[in-house]
Amino acid sequence: MIQRLTLAALMLAIIALLRTAPAEAEPYLAVMTGYKCNVCHVNPTGGGLRNEFGVTYAKVLLPAETIDNALDSWTGKITDRLQVGGDLRTDWTRTTAPNSPSQQAFALEQFRVYANLTLIPDRLAIYVDEQIAPNGSQNEEAYVRYGSTTDGFYIKGGQFYLPFGWRLQDQTAFVRQVTGISMVTPDKGVELGWERSSWSAQFDVTNGAANASTGSGYQITTQVAYTQPIWRVGIAGSSEQSNIGDRRVGGLFAGLKTGPIAWLAEGDIVRDESLPGGRTLAAALLEGDWRVLKGHNLKLTAEYQDPDRRVSNDQQTRYSFVYEYTPLPGLQLRAGYRRYFGIPQNNGQNQQLILMELHGYF
Amino acid sequence: MLIAACGGNGEGLDANGRPLVPGDGGSPPPLSADFDAIQANIFTPICSVCHVGGSAPMGLRLDAANSFNLLVGVPSTEVPSLLRVKPGDPDNSYIIQKLEGHQAVGQQMPFGCPTTQPCLTTSTIAFIRQWITNGAPPSATAATAATVHAAAPLAITSIVPDDVEPVSASPPQIMIAFNHDLDVTQIDSRSMHIERLDPGAPPMAGEIVPARVTVSSANLRALMVWPSRPLSAGHYRLVINAGSPSQFSDIAGHSLSVGVPNELGESVISTFDIEVLP
Repeated sequence: MIQRLTLAALMLAIIALLRTAPAEAEPYLAVMTGYKCNVCHVNPTGGGLRNEFGVTYAKVLLPAETIDNALDSWTGKITDRLQVGGDLRTDWTRTTAPNSPSQQAFALEQFRVYANLTLIPDRLAIYVDEQIAPNGSQNEEAYVRYGSTTDGFYIKGGQFYLPFGWRLQDQTAFVRQVTGISMVTPDKGVELGWERSSWSAQFDVTNGAANASTGSGYQITTQVAYTQPIWRVGIAGSSEQSNIGDRRVGGLFAGLKTGPIAWLAEGDIVRDESLPGGRTLAAALLEGDWRVLKGHNLKLTAEYQDPDRRVSNDQQTRYSFVYEYTPLPGLQLRAGYRRYFGIPQNNGQNQQLILMELHGYF
Repeated sequence: MLIAACGGNGEGLDANGRPLVPGDGGSPPPLSADFDAIQANIFTPICSVCHVGGSAPMGLRLDAANSFNLLVGVPSTEVPSLLRVKPGDPDNSYIIQKLEGHQAVGQQMPFGCPTTQPCLTTSTIAFIRQWITNGAPPSATAATAATVHAAAPLAITSIVPDDVEPVSASPPQIMIAFNHDLDVTQIDSRSMHIERLDPGAPPMAGEIVPARVTVSSANLRALMVWPSRPLSAGHYRLVINAGSPSQFSDIAGHSLSVGVPNELGESVISTFDIEVLP
């Protein structure tokens, strides 16, 4: 057992040394480790399929207990060229809103599978992210990628998520809703990316959601991030032109590690001419993740949004308390409480949520 | 900003967080099988949190100014054979299947329900069902909004199938939504055509597919192009014929602006691919 753990640690060290840049899985893990996204994920902008290092990290360093033989079996690789992975999240929730009966239910939140087919090693690959359940199958990402995702330029074309700010696990976070850019809003187009040492940069030209049917314009999105072992900072911008009104989004995001706590912050501002009269919206997030013990993480989040800067008294806030326990490789349990505060006349803006989630991944 | 413990106090705002207009009473009407009430109690406070503006998923904007036009008589993007709202037929309306979480139409809405927000209750959905059963009539507010925006130029707001989008089977019809009610007296099957482009063929040398052009009686802003036969796999474009843009006008007489036509005087407004699934 000890021999195998030593071997596992040695392999991780070797893989890490082979990487030119240090990086993540969930954003807080990236900040905690000082890694860039491409260290743990096949996709250089993060999320989805984990690479060999990411799989190994998730099996050895993330869980409270490391299972013997864990490194002997699964790495996600079916062949030298084909790697697969997946996430299944199922949960029980209870939602309470003022003047409304509480709702509670078990639900299959998502089962997603990922595949990466390498056609030319380190140069050409095809990537797919498919949500299998619930309900019908739905493609999230499908693109061809050419170039290096670790050192140099790459280009990808197809359908993919846009790079903008923290790629959070919670897609209902205010910063993701207000910007409209999240891991449920893939877009079609091309992305030019650049990875070098501590730098990551992307430049995307896509249809834009407003042009999904009309072809009346494009969305241009760009992001630059600089990563150091205990801190990072990034800037992102997006501009969408369409015949229903232009939309411009700007954001700053940063991460800082202080001892066992990883801090994430993001602030975004949106100018949306597609809304009646045009509106300026703002959103912000502050998250602290405390790695209490190996396999235990306490996540506290405070969020803010202003749906119209010209209108007073309409701000909303949201506070979350989530405990994440990863007992074994491939299994995570999450329990949490979330409280919304908004204008008193809107029940939905003042709801409370209790959540228990089972997360299996490979 | 983040240390503010609570949200806004809501003073001077309606239930959707918009400034009160003097004389409107401030609170939404009670939920009923009326489009105004459904908009105020469901679409605006719940759906348009995401389905709004340029970032609206599937191009479906459910704010008060757009929702009726993009719902009634309009094929869904995920399942084009289903109308988002089929007047008189709630069971075969995409929105009902989506809200009830039917297997064939993808993820249940509202997004994230029941994990991050409540699903709509059966009794709430029943009001939408009843509105559809009643023929999905527009509301007084929608009519007013149409009047307010009547001065804007006539424009296309959406096309299904998407521009440059592959579809897995021949769509029964191609849908074009406009921002104003169309003057249907000038529109006929000579106004536009579908063209199949053979691989390697020069542009503007495709095979014209006979098609019928109609306007939805349930929604004068929704124009349908019906191919006379199922479209086989291939690359297609949708073309407004030379001289026809002037035929596309709204009931106020505004003509459609579709950009610079090609040398044949035609305006290509959409291209799409039909693929054959194994």
